[in-house]
Amino acid sequence: MSEGRPATATPAPAELRRAPGPIACGVAPAADAAARELWLAAHFPRLPLEALLPVTGDARAVGIIEANDPRRCLVACNDRAARQGITAGMGLNAALALAPGLELHERRPAAEAALLDRLARWALQFTPVVSIEPPQALLAEVRGSLDLFGGAAALCRRAQAGLRAGGLQADVALAPTPRGALWLARAGIGIAAVRADAMPGLAARLLLSCLEWPADVIETLTGLGIRNVADLVRLPRDGFARRFGPALLDELDEGLGRRRQPRRRHVVPERFDERLELPVEAGSTACLAPATEQLLARLGAFLRARASGLSELRIDLLYREHPPTRVRLGLTRPNGHEGHLRELLRERLAQSRLPAAVVALRFRSGVLLPLSLRGAGLFEQGRAADPEATARLLERLRARLGEGAVFGVCPVPEHRPERAWRIAEPGGATPVPGHWPASRPARPLWMLAEPQRLAGWDGVLVTGPERIETGWWDGHDVRRDYYVALTQDRVRLWIFRERPPGQGWFLHGVFG
Amino acid sequence: MSSALEELLHHPALWRGGGFTDAPATVPTGFRRLDERLPGGGWPLSSLVEILVPAAGIGEIRLLIPALRALSAARPDEPRWIAWLGPPHLPYAPALADAGLDPSRTLVIRPRAGLDLLWAMEQALRSGACAAVLGWMGAAGDQALRRLSLAAGEGQSIGFLFRPPCHRSEASPAALRLLLTARDDGLDIEILKSRGGAPSRIDSLPIH
Repeated sequence: MSEGRPATATPAPAELRRAPGPIACGVAPAADAAARELWLAAHFPRLPLEALLPVTGDARAVGIIEANDPRRCLVACNDRAARQGITAGMGLNAALALAPGLELHERRPAAEAALLDRLARWALQFTPVVSIEPPQALLAEVRGSLDLFGGAAALCRRAQAGLRAGGLQADVALAPTPRGALWLARAGIGIAAVRADAMPGLAARLLLSCLEWPADVIETLTGLGIRNVADLVRLPRDGFARRFGPALLDELDEGLGRRRQPRRRHVVPERFDERLELPVEAGSTACLAPATEQLLARLGAFLRARASGLSELRIDLLYREHPPTRVRLGLTRPNGHEGHLRELLRERLAQSRLPAAVVALRFRSGVLLPLSLRGAGLFEQGRAADPEATARLLERLRARLGEGAVFGVCPVPEHRPERAWRIAEPGGATPVPGHWPASRPARPLWMLAEPQRLAGWDGVLVTGPERIETGWWDGHDVRRDYYVALTQDRVRLWIFRERPPGQGWFLHGVFG
Repeated sequence: MSSALEELLHHPALWRGGGFTDAPATVPTGFRRLDERLPGGGWPLSSLVEILVPAAGIGEIRLLIPALRALSAARPDEPRWIAWLGPPHLPYAPALADAGLDPSRTLVIRPRAGLDLLWAMEQALRSGACAAVLGWMGAAGDQALRRLSLAAGEGQSIGFLFRPPCHRSEASPAALRLLLTARDDGLDIEILKSRGGAPSRIDSLPIH
């Protein structure tokens, strides 16, 4: 190899394509910005299978075929099929000859796209820059996150472990360019190439198949004796561009870090809205647990990616024929804690009755709210009210007992005893400014909802009367003489007599 | 003889079994005569207190008011809640304010059934959000009360459980059990059980 031309900082691609000399030479090294990037690529060789059948197990051999592929080739297969000698790309007839009981499913691109979308959301835990490479790969720029996750190798292991825990087979690789990382991942070379100039050194290990170029191009190149990317790099640039088109040359440059490849960032939507078809119809709420668990896990990943909490979650239980059952979980404070949502949901679902078997579930979030973190004191004196604990308690109680069964009370400046208080949202009761009765006799700690007529009163009057005569202006006027009285059981009561007397005694409160 | 005994008792090699329990953390009841009889000098914190009352309204709430006030004042910046579970009537906000309790820190919970009541009381005690939980309940199994007692410990809350005196002979895991009897001039309080103390009786304690 010889230096074809001196390096320039910003080469014009059109001119370079016409430049003589081998592909590897004569092109400027990567721009500085590109060198500082580090991309993690995850390639999912079995995505068509995993998107369709999340939990197949290994009980039977399963293969996925393209919906309208005239050649009828297998796109993916599970472990059991692989053990019987079936590989992806094999013809359908050959596969059926090897495994007559092979279960076949048609590929569903929409499901694959949805799964990739979820994976992108999951990858946002490593970096804010995540990009989807359809149909089967994911890219994330992780240079800035290396220190946090303990280095490149640790980050790779963590990503790999997370994907495996999600039931996905993935090849993970790190490289300074997005396309380079993608090649490494597709080739199954799970290394962390951190150095900016690492790609050319790895070219000899990258076979042509990892480029995913059109079949006729690969065939021609193979005919020329080209087996890997290193061979490709030695070809003359202008001849390559003339023969295979400038786009493939650009790809090659992008992979080797000689040309920047801008990536479209994956943006998480504003609200969570996901639907899950149940694998088996659920006749009771108890059978919904695995599905709700799965959706809650997705919701949790979504909320973590947005660093937000929910104030409302709407759950639809969908049936084949009936209109859906709608359940709404309202939260007093924005919350992103899956465990808490799970508890609330369990209480609410336990109360709902299913009119028919549920076929699908849909979770929709309300507006997302940023979560506020609260610092804890080092030397806490006594125990303070934790606002989160209060909110959790209120939501839990209301989920099971109903909204109206949990409330607070608030005094109101008013002389009529039954109007001197009101029911209020717990903690939301701020005393109304106004003319509070300055000094008055003691009031009972307990009040009856309605004054209750006393039949045959024979107790002792202790103090009184306290005359309350007011309210004539709004039609609810009160003219009463109140007494504190003691019953035979020595229960202290607050009773009154209407004025003018004659209608008997009424019980209004108990002094507790 | 007695001086010889005194000498012996002061011998460092002699260990006496009494008073070895650490006095529990308490909040004063506000009634001196009652405080004197209770280990630690007050209502035991983080535990369950069972109060047997023959009729609602004889002064059982007034007996608790000074302690509830002290609990609310413990953290004036962020006071914890006082929860009323299934009370026989509604707590009257102006009277709470008169008694020095903050009505905006009062939580009323009215469950429909007894089972819900036990569950709600356990949740309120365990949450750590309530300084005290007052519950009115009839029959409850030994196991249910034990759960409440554990929940009170976990949430560092006092559970006051009001029950009719017919449950007097039942075993109870509560740290303190009282039987109240109304008098013209106050309450007779019989301490049926007191963890770390001894059963005793207080006659005619005036309740303001």
